[in-house]
Amino acid sequence: MFNKALNHLEEILISFLMAAATLVIFVAVVHRYLAGVPYIQDLALKIHMSWAQELCIILFVWMCKFGAAYGVRTGIHVGVDVVINRMSPANRGRFVIFGLLAGALFTGAIAVLGGTFVWDNGAHHAFLDLIGQPREDVFEGPTTPDLEWPTWIVYSAIPLGSALMCYRFLQVCWNFYKTGELPKHDESHVEGIDEQTPLDVKEAKQ
Amino acid sequence: QAPIVIKFSHVVAPDTPKGKGAQRFKELAEQKTGGKVKVELYPNSQLYKDKEEMEALQLGSVQMLAPSLAKFGPLGVKEFEVFDLPFLFKDTDSFRAVTDGQLGADLFKKLEPKGIKGLAYWDNGFHIMSANKPLHNVADFKGMKMRIQSSKVLDAQMRALGAIPQVMAFSELYQALQTGVVDGTEGVPSNFYTQKIFEVQKHMTMSNHGHLAYAVIVNKKFWDGLPADIRTQLEAAIKESTTYANAIASTENGRALEGIKASGRVTIYTPTPAEINEWKKALMPVHKEMESRVGKTTIEAAYKAAGFVAPK
Amino acid sequence: MNALIIFSLLLALMLTGMPISISLGLTVMTFIVTMTQVPIESVALKLFTGIEKWEIMAVPFFILAGNFLTHGGVARRMINFATSMVGHFHGGLALASILACSMFALVCGSSVATVVAIGSIVLPAMVAHGYPMRFGAGVIITAGSLGILMLPSIPKVIYAISTNTSIGALFVAGLLPGIMLALMLAAVTWYIARKNNYPRLARMGWKARFHAFRKSFWGLLLVVIIVGGIWSGAFTATEAAAMAAVYSFFVAIFVYKDLKLRDVPKVLKDSANMSAMLLYIITNAVLFSFVLTNENLPHQLADWLLSMNLGQNGFLFVVNLVLLGAGNFMDPSSIILIMAPIFFPAAMQLGVNPVHFGILIDVNMEVGLCHPPVGLNLYVASGISKLGITELTKAVMPWLLTMIVFLVIVTYWPWLTLVVPQMMGML
Ligand code: NA
Ligand code: NA
Repeated sequence: MFNKALNHLEEILISFLMAAATLVIFVAVVHRYLAGVPYIQDLALKIHMSWAQELCIILFVWMCKFGAAYGVRTGIHVGVDVVINRMSPANRGRFVIFGLLAGALFTGAIAVLGGTFVWDNGAHHAFLDLIGQPREDVFEGPTTPDLEWPTWIVYSAIPLGSALMCYRFLQVCWNFYKTGELPKHDESHVEGIDEQTPLDVKEAKQ
Repeated sequence: QAPIVIKFSHVVAPDTPKGKGAQRFKELAEQKTGGKVKVELYPNSQLYKDKEEMEALQLGSVQMLAPSLAKFGPLGVKEFEVFDLPFLFKDTDSFRAVTDGQLGADLFKKLEPKGIKGLAYWDNGFHIMSANKPLHNVADFKGMKMRIQSSKVLDAQMRALGAIPQVMAFSELYQALQTGVVDGTEGVPSNFYTQKIFEVQKHMTMSNHGHLAYAVIVNKKFWDGLPADIRTQLEAAIKESTTYANAIASTENGRALEGIKASGRVTIYTPTPAEINEWKKALMPVHKEMESRVGKTTIEAAYKAAGFVAPK
Repeated sequence: MNALIIFSLLLALMLTGMPISISLGLTVMTFIVTMTQVPIESVALKLFTGIEKWEIMAVPFFILAGNFLTHGGVARRMINFATSMVGHFHGGLALASILACSMFALVCGSSVATVVAIGSIVLPAMVAHGYPMRFGAGVIITAGSLGILMLPSIPKVIYAISTNTSIGALFVAGLLPGIMLALMLAAVTWYIARKNNYPRLARMGWKARFHAFRKSFWGLLLVVIIVGGIWSGAFTATEAAAMAAVYSFFVAIFVYKDLKLRDVPKVLKDSANMSAMLLYIITNAVLFSFVLTNENLPHQLADWLLSMNLGQNGFLFVVNLVLLGAGNFMDPSSIILIMAPIFFPAAMQLGVNPVHFGILIDVNMEVGLCHPPVGLNLYVASGISKLGITELTKAVMPWLLTMIVFLVIVTYWPWLTLVVPQMMGML
């Protein structure tokens, strides 16, 4: 139940981020174009779009961090499996488990480091502010230049995404241990979309 | 005994005024401390980029930086945005009066709670405007797409002139000017020259409306932890390299302008006092608008030190 | 010494089969903890800021555009048009698929997407018309690699990011070499087809050709939008990628209607999946090159390469060998991210043009995509054709050898790559 909800949330989030980033840049380009057109430009000038690139970058970085977690679940992260594919199934299995645990180790470490960084970079101050006990030696974190959002919120994609990714590695590892199956990504296929209809052309009369 | 290593990271090429200033500091510091300090230079954003160097300094991954003053606003010290106010400084002396005086020291003090210590202000000259059409009067800016760096003051400044500000990565600027994605930009002559902006712009206006400067900053914990004698030697090295960097900025800007003129690609226009007065009047609302961000007292202190007179 | 430790560790971790991104990240972390003074938190910082760069955003945009083009009926109409033009020659359908791959490559930045888009439609048709499957697969695998040579290309974007080269110039620089490679592949195809007397199609009249052209027009218009948009200053190269994504969405849903609105979330999700994987490798590779820079390794390696006095030609020969070797084990993005920062400083000192160097690397990546043990085009074609990798490897040989000849030409004839960007005033 929990896993199902998490899966859905993850998929909706990354699809939304992809669409939103594309839309933002499209609108920004159209806005800049209109700003050069007489009569419309006065209106266009009133609209501020200087933050578009910054927002797009933030959206994509978030998409990257959570999409990478989704990618563990779909088996899209490519590795050099030439060597281990020639081993006996038992040995191959050991290396697969080693690889998955290494992934969990790295992402887990990043989640902790990222968490520490975000905490020191403003989250601590925000927390103390929230509970009404500001302290001199805990400084307020920086903001992003254009949107002026606190960077600790923006950067929290690292600990959150990495923690989720770590969970996914452990999940895949457990499944592999139980069933011996790994998620496999098929490049030639977008899930849920029908196969292409083959071409129909006339042959030359001999 | 292993020398104390200072990693000095910056985002411009080694042959720019800042790059040369950093190089001079390295030589002086190593010489004055008799090799007890080793300065490693990382130009061209090799180690840290524009957007991350400040955090890296706070973490202690790098010990010394020289970011432009515009970078301190996002850090949470918005008072530094006073340096971006258009036409605040009438000349270099007026700028030095602010940085060398009480205000300059007070602003550096405000960095300390962030774990940063300011050591010196490095001058890099006045901003001029460039575009593919002449920019003489305020009306000429109408509807122009002008590239700026991320800065609330510059954004407001372009809007006040009737232009559309475009925040754009420096790496994309040359091609964007060439193809016309943006119509113009603003900056110091030495950057226009080294980044070959003059190849893709037809007109430049010596408006001197803005001013570019850097602050040499160090990680406070690292600095306070240095042996007192070494710190004194380094302070002397900073002082000498600051004099050097300021001098070189002004010669480089002069040389750059000569180079741009010699290329024959650009018409350089010096606006009349009447035109400048018109620009100033159009831009005074920006000063007003920024009061809520920068603080009225800071702006007034800057006015006083710089000898700023509001246009009539 | 440090260089040896770093690279040995990376190689060892990679050979265990773990994701390349993870092996890069773990190498960096191990190295930072045991051998440097760099605070470990900066790893977390770099993991965010490593991709906080505007040019990198072209990668997800081009992937999204590619998915809309692949599943939105653009490829199909291009094939119809190509068939109407060249179908009556020897090996007509195979020639048509090379032409279709070239056209598709003009708008799509990925080789794999090109193989999928053209291959999944044309391969069944080729078998139905009596071509051996292995012949068709060989053509598609190599012609599909044009996807990263002509105009937009994800490996080019990644090269541009790691070396600060102009993306726009790299895009157009691939145009002439792309046409040349297409012609070379077509010549080989025609020769084999004639020798084996493979079937030809009926010659189409000009009216039918025009009709097919009109139907593929909306897809081809994207070329005009990308090149024209950048050239006329409507948008930058990165923005062009976003515009391509929006345009291909529009064409797929509202013009061709091959894709239903309800399929869009799936396309978005799949594009996000692929982009996130690439961005994650990029992030970790940025981290890796940060450690290399921190240890001043690229300069040392460049000095070492220069000290061997190979000269420009010898140096480029070595670069080709190393890249072809790397193409055995890694995907293009990882290779470029790891190798470009190492070779680039030396290349610049030897006076190689950065755009020429980028295209040379790009062609190497094309070759790597088409041969085992790791070669994505091969794997994808194997998925479509249901042929084994060994059989496909034999099948692809004539075209693969042609590509190697082509690589030599590109390496030692810079004019071919540089003339178009020079003409457009981009160099
Ligand atoms: Na392409
Ligand atoms: Na390969």
